Amino acid sequence: MIRSVGPQPKKSISFTNTVKGGQTKGYIGANQSRMAMSKTLMVLPEIKTEKMNISTPRTAIQVINALGVDVTPRPLYHQDPHMGTAKPNKLLTSQEGSYSSDYISSYSLYQNTINPSMLGQFTRSVLGSSSVSKSSASTTESIAEDLEEPSYKREKLTSFTDLRVVRATPEKIVTKEDLQKTIEITLTETETLSFFNLPTVLISVESEEAEKVIRRNKIYETLCRNRLGNDLYVERMMQTINGAPKNKEVQCDKIVKEDKGVMSSTWDLYDSYNAMDLSPLPTKQSMLESTSKASIPSKDREQRVIGSTIEKNSEASSLMDIENVILTKIRDDEEDHSESIMKSDKFRQDLFFMERVLMENLFQPKLAAYHQLPVLKEPEPEGPEDFLEGEKLEQETEEEVKKEEEEEIEIGTEESTIPANLERLWSFSCDLTKGLNVSSLAWNKTNPDLLAVGYGHFGFKEQKRGLACCWSIKNPMWPERIYQSPYGVTAVDFSTGAPNLLAVGYHNGTIAIYNVQSNSNVPVLDSSESPLKHLGPVWQLQWIEQDRGTTGDDKREILVSISADGRISKWVIRKGLDCHDLMRLRRTTVSSSKKGGEKEKKGEALISRQAPGMCFAFHPKDTNIYLAGTEEGHIHKCSCSYNEQYLDTYRGHKGPVYKIAWNPFCHDVFLSCSADWGVIMWQQENTNPFLSFYPTTYVVYDVAWSPKSSCIFAVANESRVEIWDLHVSTLDPLIVNVANPGIKFTTVLFAKQTDCLLVGDSDGQVAVYELRNMPTALDSGQGDIIDTLLGPKSNQQG
Amino acid sequence: MTEWTNEPGLCPLRSSGPRPAGLGAQAEVEETLKRIQSHKGVIGTMVVNAEGIPIRTTLDNSTTVQYAGLLHQLTVKARSTVRDIDPQNDLTFLRIRSKKHEIMVAPDKEYLLIVIQNPCE
Repeated sequence: MIRSVGPQPKKSISFTNTVKGGQTKGYIGANQSRMAMSKTLMVLPEIKTEKMNISTPRTAIQVINALGVDVTPRPLYHQDPHMGTAKPNKLLTSQEGSYSSDYISSYSLYQNTINPSMLGQFTRSVLGSSSVSKSSASTTESIAEDLEEPSYKREKLTSFTDLRVVRATPEKIVTKEDLQKTIEITLTETETLSFFNLPTVLISVESEEAEKVIRRNKIYETLCRNRLGNDLYVERMMQTINGAPKNKEVQCDKIVKEDKGVMSSTWDLYDSYNAMDLSPLPTKQSMLESTSKASIPSKDREQRVIGSTIEKNSEASSLMDIENVILTKIRDDEEDHSESIMKSDKFRQDLFFMERVLMENLFQPKLAAYHQLPVLKEPEPEGPEDFLEGEKLEQETEEEVKKEEEEEIEIGTEESTIPANLERLWSFSCDLTKGLNVSSLAWNKTNPDLLAVGYGHFGFKEQKRGLACCWSIKNPMWPERIYQSPYGVTAVDFSTGAPNLLAVGYHNGTIAIYNVQSNSNVPVLDSSESPLKHLGPVWQLQWIEQDRGTTGDDKREILVSISADGRISKWVIRKGLDCHDLMRLRRTTVSSSKKGGEKEKKGEALISRQAPGMCFAFHPKDTNIYLAGTEEGHIHKCSCSYNEQYLDTYRGHKGPVYKIAWNPFCHDVFLSCSADWGVIMWQQENTNPFLSFYPTTYVVYDVAWSPKSSCIFAVANESRVEIWDLHVSTLDPLIVNVANPGIKFTTVLFAKQTDCLLVGDSDGQVAVYELRNMPTALDSGQGDIIDTLLGPKSNQQG
Repeated sequence: MTEWTNEPGLCPLRSSGPRPAGLGAQAEVEETLKRIQSHKGVIGTMVVNAEGIPIRTTLDNSTTVQYAGLLHQLTVKARSTVRDIDPQNDLTFLRIRSKKHEIMVAPDKEYLLIVIQNPCE
C-alpha cells in the first residue's frame, strides 16, 4: 500500500499545474501515481529551505507488487544523518546561480524532463488498460518504478553533494609507518543489482507458456479483426498533451578540420610497388590478407613519402626565418650525421663528378679542340659533349659513338698562309709532379682518356723519388691515381688484355704491376722478390700478346722488359711474376762480323759482357720479331725463338739508342733515335741507315710515329719538339716547338683519335699540343706515300 | 684471367710522401673538397644536409641557406620530372647556367653538394 500524504502548500506552483494538466479519469493506478509524484515533488522545497534536515521529511515510498511482496527498491547510497547540510545548498546555488527564478526554472526543467516520461506512462497506461485488464498492475509497477527514478536521481544528487562533504573533512596525515603498514583489503562480492530488466517478448514454441501465448495472440488477432464493425469498440479522438519544448544550447569543442591533398605521381606509384616487391609476401595461404595489408602500408608509405617532401619544403622555407635558432640547437645533434655524410661513398663520388664538371667548364674550349668538337661559345650554348660519365676504364662506347657522330674533321680550308703549328692546349701538372722528370707516357688501351705518366730521372746522379700517375683528360689538374715510390720510374705501360693493369718499371730494376681500378696504392704484383729481377734500370716495358701456337694455348699476354743489365726478359703472370729471359744482350764490337758472337779485341778490357739495353720494339705484325737498341748504339733484330743469337744488327748510331719505333703503316720501316743527336730511319732488310736526321746538337730522347699518317713523326730532343713530315721535306722538320729555357723535352706521345701530341718535359709537365694546319690530310694514312719515298730516294748517310 | 691478389708486406714501393695512403675516405674527401674550392672561377662551395643546414660552406650563412632552400626545391622538382618520365631513372646532376655563373648541384637523399662557378675567366 502506498501511503498517501496530502499535498501541502508549495512555493513552486508550476509543479502542480503540470501535474494537473495530465488528468485522466479516475484510474486507481493513476491516482496513486499522481500522489506519488506529488510526494516526491515535495522533497525539493525542503531542500530549498535550507533549514530543515534533509533526511527527516522524506516519506518512504513503498512499492508492493501484486503478490503483496514488498519490492521497494532500496537506494544505493545511505546518507549519513549526522552530516551537515549547509554545503549542498551552496553547491546548488553556485551551479545554478543565485537567482531564485533560475532555481525554479532549473527545477522546472528537471520536472519537465520527468513529466513527459511520466505522462508517457500515463498515456500508455491509458491505452494499455483499456485493452487488457491484466496490464494495469504491471503498469502501476512500471510507473512506480519510473517514479522511483527521479527520486533516485535526486537522491543521487544529494548523495553526491554529501559525498563531497564527507570527503572534505577528514584529512589524516599519512605517516611513513602508515605507508609501510600492510593494509588488509577484503574484497567481497556484493549482491547482484539489477539496473535494467527488459523482459523478453519472444517465447520459444517449445516452452510451457507457449500455448498460453499462442492463445493470447489468437484472441488478439480475432479482436483486431472484430474491431472494425464492432459495437463494443468506439473510435474516439483524443488530444495528446505535448510538453513545451525548450531549446538548450550546447557548445562543444571546436572541430578542427584539415585538408590534406596528395598527388601521386608516376614514380611514386613505381616506388611503392617496388617497395612492396622488395618485402615479399609471406605465404600463399595468407596471400589475400597480406595483399590487403600491404596495400595499406604502401598507401601510408606514399603519404609518408609525399608528406615528408612537403615537410622538407616547408621546413626549408621556414628555416630561413629561424635559421640561427635552429643552427645553435641542432648543431650538436647533427654533427654526427653530417660527419657520416662526409664519409659516405656517394659523397665522394659526387665530389668526383663535380670536379670533373668544373674541369669541363674551365677547359671546355681546350677539350673541345682536343676532341675536335665545336667550342662552346657564350652565351649561346650549343650543347657541348657531356663529360659526366665518371667511369674511367669502362669508357662506354657511347662516347666514342658520340664523338664519331659529332666529330668535324677540320681540314684547313683557310687560305693556308698560316703555317702548320703546334698549339698548346693544356698541360697535366700538379704540385706533386713539379720538378720531376717525365720519363714515360702510355695510353690506356681501352679508355682513350686515361694516360699513365712515369716520373723519374734518367741519370744515376739525379735520382730522386719517383712517381707514376694516371691522368684523365677530364681532369687536367689532378691525377686520378698516384703511385709513389722512392725510386724513379723509368717505364710505364698499360696492359691490353686486362686494361686495368699498369706495369711500372723502376730505376732499381723492379717491376710493379698496379690495378688502377682499385684505390689502393699497393701494387698487385711486384718483382722485387723475384730472383731473376733486373739489376739495372728498366728502360722499357711493353705488354705483348703472343701466340702460343706450339702449346696450343690462346693468345697470352706477357710483359717484356729491357733493362740496363743487358737482359730482355719476359714476365708471365701465373701465381706471381715469373720471369724468363728472352735475350741476353751481348756486347759486340764494331768491326767484327754481324753475328753476335763474342769477340774480344786485343787489349780491350770489358767490364761486362752484357750490353745494356735501352729500348725495344716488337714488330707490329709478327710478335716474334723485335728490335732491341743498346747502349752501344747497335740495334739488334731478334726473335723470341732464339735467345742466343741476333738475327741482324743495324749499325748506324754512335750513341745509346733511346727509342725505336716501327712505322704503323709500312711495316718495313722503323725509326730510331739516339744520344748522338740523330734520328735514323731504317728499312728492315737493310742494315745501313736509310735516312738520317740531325737537326740539332742535342740528345734526342724520344721519337714517335703519328698514328694517322705514315710520313709524320715527332721527335723530342732536349731543346725542342719537332714534327717531321717526310712528304713535305726530309731535310727540315715541319714544325718546331722550342722549349722554355731550362726545360728539356723528354717524351712524346701521339694521341690516337685526335690530332694531338703529348710532350713530357723535365719539369714534370705533360703538355698537350694540337697539330694545326697540317698540310696533308692527317687521317689519310697510307703506306703508299712512304713507299714512293723509299723508291726514288735512297739517301744514305753514314 | 687469373685473379690478382695483393702480395702482403715486403714491398719497397709502398707509397710515401705528401699523400699517405692510410687515411681513408675522409681525408680524400677533404682533399677533393679543398681542391674544388680552390679551382679557378669557383665562387662558392656548399654541402648542406637534408634539412638545409650547411655542413661545409665557403659562403656566408644567409647566402648558403638561401641557396640550399631554393635549390632543394628545384632539385625535388627536377627529380620528380625525371622520374615521371621514366620511374627507373633518377636525377644524378643538375646544372643551371645563367648569365653570370653556373650553379652545379649534385643531389642526394641526405645532402646537397652545390658549387657555383664563374666559367668565363
